[in-house]
Amino acid sequence: MIGDRFAAVLAAAQGGNEEAFSRLWRDGNPPLLRYLRVIAPDVAEDVASDTWVQVVRGLAGFRGDEQAWRAWLFTTARRRSIDEGRRRSRRPTAPLEDVAAGQLPTAPDAAEMALERLGTRSVVALVAELPAIQAEVILLRVVAGLDTEQVAQLTGRSPGAVRVAVHRGLRRLAQLLAEAGVTL
Amino acid sequence: MPNFPWSGRPDVSAISDASLSALLAGAELPPGAAPELRPVAEALAALTAAPTGDELAGEAEALAVFRERLGVPSPTRRSRRRPTLLSPLLSARAAAAAAVAALGIGGFATAAFAGMLPAPAQQFAHHTIGAPAARASQPTSTHPSASATPAGPDATGPAAFGLCTAWAHAKQHGTAKQKAVAFRNLAAAAGGAGNVAAYCGTVPHPGASRSHSTGKPSSHPTPQHPTGPPSTHPTGPPSTHPTGKPSSHPTPHATGEP
Repeated sequence: MIGDRFAAVLAAAQGGNEEAFSRLWRDGNPPLLRYLRVIAPDVAEDVASDTWVQVVRGLAGFRGDEQAWRAWLFTTARRRSIDEGRRRSRRPTAPLEDVAAGQLPTAPDAAEMALERLGTRSVVALVAELPAIQAEVILLRVVAGLDTEQVAQLTGRSPGAVRVAVHRGLRRLAQLLAEAGVTL
Repeated sequence: MPNFPWSGRPDVSAISDASLSALLAGAELPPGAAPELRPVAEALAALTAAPTGDELAGEAEALAVFRERLGVPSPTRRSRRRPTLLSPLLSARAAAAAAVAALGIGGFATAAFAGMLPAPAQQFAHHTIGAPAARASQPTSTHPSASATPAGPDATGPAAFGLCTAWAHAKQHGTAKQKAVAFRNLAAAAGGAGNVAAYCGTVPHPGASRSHSTGKPSSHPTPQHPTGPPSTHPTGPPSTHPTGKPSSHPTPHATGEP
């Protein structure tokens, strides 16, 4: 998140300032990738690129604070990933041989789990193990930084349902982490 | 074997909603917290951790996209000096951007080198970036201060989509802009003002091979809409392209966007 400086950075970027745009991009792209790696794993980088193209096109006309900006970014990304038609199914029906190894959800690396500080990729991979709805709302709340109301609008669910899904997902995540710890 | 505070079967039901809400709101893990909460707190920290190299790898590409669309050269680059904001140039640029948008081509430069800009803008491009000079048959600008008899965008050609969008917007907002030159062309193409809606229904979206997700109002989650206030542009249609670029320049445009 950029915080207090956001309005100034946005205005500068809209005026064509490359440093300002770079700031917006560096702030937004990592969360976008973390989100897309779970909801559109084979095409995460492509969808992220497409998202930024859309954002640049609409940049001059955008009006809003940082929360609205984040919501716009992730709404665009979500729509692009749907357009790509590669919405990830939780239980892939294709035989495993057809799925490239790099695209299979990997169990967290044992060595990484041994560290007190968990690696981002490991945790994202664990989130990918959750049921699709729980995974998505957790990423939108935590990684995208959207509030419950925004997540509700984006996913077409009620705020209550979003809250329940987030909490269930986090509990399950705690369980997955514990199981990963036990197997060491 | 490392000793984890949370190893063994945790009782996840011991993780209360209240404590989860607190963690989500950014609270630190309190000292006396249930041990089951620790992995959740660690996971949240990992999800929001600083970017890794691979997450920042696409920056050059993104900057290139930005530069082409909106970029202002830094002071050290002299080859593409853009003049300061005189209103004829502004209007030419706005008309140019509009024509570009209506034609579905990305980039002012692309349209300029294709000789596709309205005459004043084409001349501007000719002088600044060496694009071809405006031809006699160049589309005339629709800016009111331009020629005595502005022709307006051709409503049967590729500009039709931009015109239709602007017309729909003007209609929705109940403005008199529907009488503007460009809309008269649209009405003529449609065979009468009453047929415009039907005519617009048949106009294809430029580059319709891929669905163009550009944030239509009904699907946008927040009130802030990226398409801006198209109805305030004096020349009407081209500036109301769905992806919303009424003016790409931040300085005082005649329309005074909010």
